[in-house]
Amino acid sequence: MNDNTLTWSQAWRIARRDLNARFRGLRLLVVCLFLGTAALAAIGTLTAAIEGELADRGQVILGGDLEIEVWQRSLNDEERAALAEYGTLSHGTRMQAMAVAGDAAAPVELKAVDTRWPLYGTLMLEGGRTAGAPTGNQAWLAQGAMDRLGISTGDRFRVGGAELVAAGIIADEPDRLSEGFQLGPTVIVAEDVPLRAGLIAPGAMYQSKTRVAFSPDVDPEVVEDELTERFPEAGFDFRSRDRASPGADRFVGRMGEFLTLVGLAALVIAGIGIGGGVTSYLEARRQSIATLKVLGATSADIARIYALQIGAAALAGTMAGLLVGVLVTPALAVALQGLLPVGTGVVIDPLALLLAAGFGLLIALVFAATPLVRARSFPAMALMRARISPLMRDRAALPWMLGGLAAIAVLVLATSREPLLAGGFLLGAAAVFGLLASLGTGIARLSARLPRPANPLVRNALANLHRPGAQTGALVTALGFGLSAFVLLAGIQSAIDGNIQRSVPAQAPDYFVLDVPRDRVTTFETLVRERHPEAEIRTVPALRGAVLAYGPEGAMTRVSELEEIPDGAWALRGERGLTYADALPEGNRLVQGTWWRAGHSGEPLVSVDEEFATAIDLKVGDKITVGVLGVERTARVANLRTIDWESMGFNYVLVFSANTLADAPHNLAATIDLPESGATGPLLRDLVRAFPSSSVIEVGGVLAEARTILGQVGIATFAAASVAVLAGLAVLIGAIAAARAARTNDTVVLRVLGASRGQILLMQLAEYALLAVVLAGVALLLGAGLAWAVITQLFEFDWLPDWGMMVAVLSGGLVFVVAVALAGSLPLLRAKPAQALRAL
Amino acid sequence: MTSPLPAVSARNLTLTLGTPAAPVEILRGIDLDVPTGEICALLGPSGSGKSSLMAVMSGLERASGGTLNVAGADFTMMDEDGLARARRGRIGIVLQAFHLLPTMTALENVATPMELAGEADAQERARQELVAVGLGHRLAHYPTQLSGGEQQRVAIARAIAPRPRLIFADEPTGNLDVATGHEIIELLFARRAETGATLFVITHDPELAERCGRVLTMADGRIASDRRA
Repeated sequence: MNDNTLTWSQAWRIARRDLNARFRGLRLLVVCLFLGTAALAAIGTLTAAIEGELADRGQVILGGDLEIEVWQRSLNDEERAALAEYGTLSHGTRMQAMAVAGDAAAPVELKAVDTRWPLYGTLMLEGGRTAGAPTGNQAWLAQGAMDRLGISTGDRFRVGGAELVAAGIIADEPDRLSEGFQLGPTVIVAEDVPLRAGLIAPGAMYQSKTRVAFSPDVDPEVVEDELTERFPEAGFDFRSRDRASPGADRFVGRMGEFLTLVGLAALVIAGIGIGGGVTSYLEARRQSIATLKVLGATSADIARIYALQIGAAALAGTMAGLLVGVLVTPALAVALQGLLPVGTGVVIDPLALLLAAGFGLLIALVFAATPLVRARSFPAMALMRARISPLMRDRAALPWMLGGLAAIAVLVLATSREPLLAGGFLLGAAAVFGLLASLGTGIARLSARLPRPANPLVRNALANLHRPGAQTGALVTALGFGLSAFVLLAGIQSAIDGNIQRSVPAQAPDYFVLDVPRDRVTTFETLVRERHPEAEIRTVPALRGAVLAYGPEGAMTRVSELEEIPDGAWALRGERGLTYADALPEGNRLVQGTWWRAGHSGEPLVSVDEEFATAIDLKVGDKITVGVLGVERTARVANLRTIDWESMGFNYVLVFSANTLADAPHNLAATIDLPESGATGPLLRDLVRAFPSSSVIEVGGVLAEARTILGQVGIATFAAASVAVLAGLAVLIGAIAAARAARTNDTVVLRVLGASRGQILLMQLAEYALLAVVLAGVALLLGAGLAWAVITQLFEFDWLPDWGMMVAVLSGGLVFVVAVALAGSLPLLRAKPAQALRAL
Repeated sequence: MTSPLPAVSARNLTLTLGTPAAPVEILRGIDLDVPTGEICALLGPSGSGKSSLMAVMSGLERASGGTLNVAGADFTMMDEDGLARARRGRIGIVLQAFHLLPTMTALENVATPMELAGEADAQERARQELVAVGLGHRLAHYPTQLSGGEQQRVAIARAIAPRPRLIFADEPTGNLDVATGHEIIELLFARRAETGATLFVITHDPELAERCGRVLTMADGRIASDRRA
């Protein structure tokens, strides 16, 4: 006789006999895990696919193995010769410019390239043809530029003083992603066009980009170090093939992480369904469990047998989810074509799939532990005694639940690029779940204490919120989370959109104008005021340079010798905008020191942003050295000030006294603020004609672009939140199924007493409508409340949500919930009283 | 086959259920010795405690007080799991409502107690026992595919296949028609005779009671009479 617990294989032999091949009874568990792991697998796989593409195609995306960027100048001969030692060079220029065709004008990103461009990859034009660099007056234009100018292929247009021909429409620009955010559509021209067009004059704002295709076995990092050492003050900005598009890389990484966290939250909701499903399943097997105990099974044997069954179902759901997650990714990739680089084939990223599976199975463990541990204790006497005293709460499940939760938290933190943020999200989600669970319990208790309504429909609906076995708490938690997420996302998106639409334009100028010649500023202001006498015009000198050194005199720190940039000292990285002024700029406030007098001619002075000064421990009286067009200029810190970045005007971290920078070649930048009434088209045309080398940027156009991007991001996050709602619906279906016996009993009794099918349907509708009202209140309160906090406290924007959109999104979700609930209840209407009474 | 040790030895056995605020005395001081191989009938009106006495003797319920020794094992010192282990190979139970495992075939139902006990030849022994009860042609059938009588035969085979020392049958014919009930009783007695197990039968049938060697009549939680048939 063997007194030991069953071995796992013995337990499996018994378990599989009781396990239906189609997992009947465990389908809710299978569906919930399927949804959750499919979402996580799809998100993880897509993110990995994009990141892989960014990494694999680094050379093509960058257009070289290494890129060196400088502002307002080209590389000199010595620098070019040094670079040429490493491989083949390709030079180019990037700048904002205005393209003009007849009366139409459009700001464009002018991209001038030499004949070797592109070093890697191929430019595709519309119509399927490939092309290299344009020659002579040829130009390749993005479709957006063609549309704005109202021209077709073969038509002529002007940029600055150069007349060009639209020779083709860009279909696929191989290095587009590395160019980053642009304020206008791309126009690709020959290398010498900016010079011919009069756009490159001393002081003009342009970038010079030189890319290098290395000889084999050359390491970009080594080259970068050598060049930095050889030209420490050149102000080079490097980018290598390994980080060809850091902006896209960061965006994809952060977006992927955020969506994973949302998917994980959806999986937790699915866990509620899993818990409910497993509880129902084991309750239905109470007799079988008791019989096994009569036959000699111990509680450990029972635990193994049913853990194996639940584990098998969990594995099936997880595997199905992983499969669908992988298969759906190519469809998502097609939707992203043109926005982000991603291959269209099936991608299998083992780590992403392992992570999705790991999360899924851990959630199954956390939520199945309690009912499984409870089932161990089903007594054998259940077979012989009709009334069994209720089981005591069994704390034995607690270690499994806590262990599972801890493992999930560790997995999230270990795989996150920003563990603090991820940890904050986890804590926030846990708090929300706890709040919802409390609300759900509270609502059930409150409904029991309310006076009983006279109307039988409402009375029945209210009673069903708190009847024994009612799953109000679970439903409020599961559905409430998903619907609150919808309201939260709608609130945040519409509030940001509202700020972009209303608040930002109210504060931001109507136009930014770059490269206004200093000697023509009066002409510029006169021209603007001719059209708009009440226009507010502000001009600032616009230069670019890099901070080379800072600190007390005689003990300055050279930036090139820093091992890493201090936190908050982002202004030390690369070149930035510099300016000079005689007076404290608008929107700035002095906090230490004093401002110099107008026309100051003594020691060069500089005013520094207080936050930046704090980050590098810079004090009034210390010195800063900047490099402008290859020349070092040192100034003493005269004061520190705070900057109001929300003024949307020109804000500079460093503002110098005029005598420091005025002699450097430079142009002016201007903002134009128009009164509300007034057409802006004629002004744009006048400016473009009078100042062909200046770029005029309509803020409205930029904001429209920002709203488009916001909309696209919104779609992705809503899609992830939808999984949460679907999981909540699975919980609802599970709750309906679990209550079916009791509901059938009620329905049969009501039918015996004379209720019609229509009346019973109305009762169901009343019940779910009441639940929907409860959920609406919870979701609006929680979702809108959190959105308000994020917008006003985190982003410090104005609270300008679109309540219509929020209510519409919520209503859509609720209608779907009620429809699913009613559909799930329809079988009750088919119960025949006589038949059911015989079975009861 | 007899053994000098009694199959069951109980002293002042009590069972109290309900809550501490409202206790219900089900068994009030039962003293009983049953030698190995004896066949006992348990009679008594509804609520007299006969099912509860059987539950305690078969290890399905823990006694509240007294001592109970079943086939050499002290049941009063065991927890639920200990009682489950003690039932393995020692006790077979046949219940009024059959209680076969619905998702297992007849063969699997009969094999299960032996598999729980770790017996290597469980399947073969189960097959042999099913043949012995006349269901050799129904090995692969599920309970829903069997008649009431056939289900109870499977239950008897399941109880006897492990060769237990005691068999408890709680109204084994209660859910069957008269004719089938007679067949079942004949089968039960015949299978018991082959194994020599001690048999307890709860019944309302006085004829059946007289077939047993000893009749225990319960009343109000006590053994009101104990006579040889």
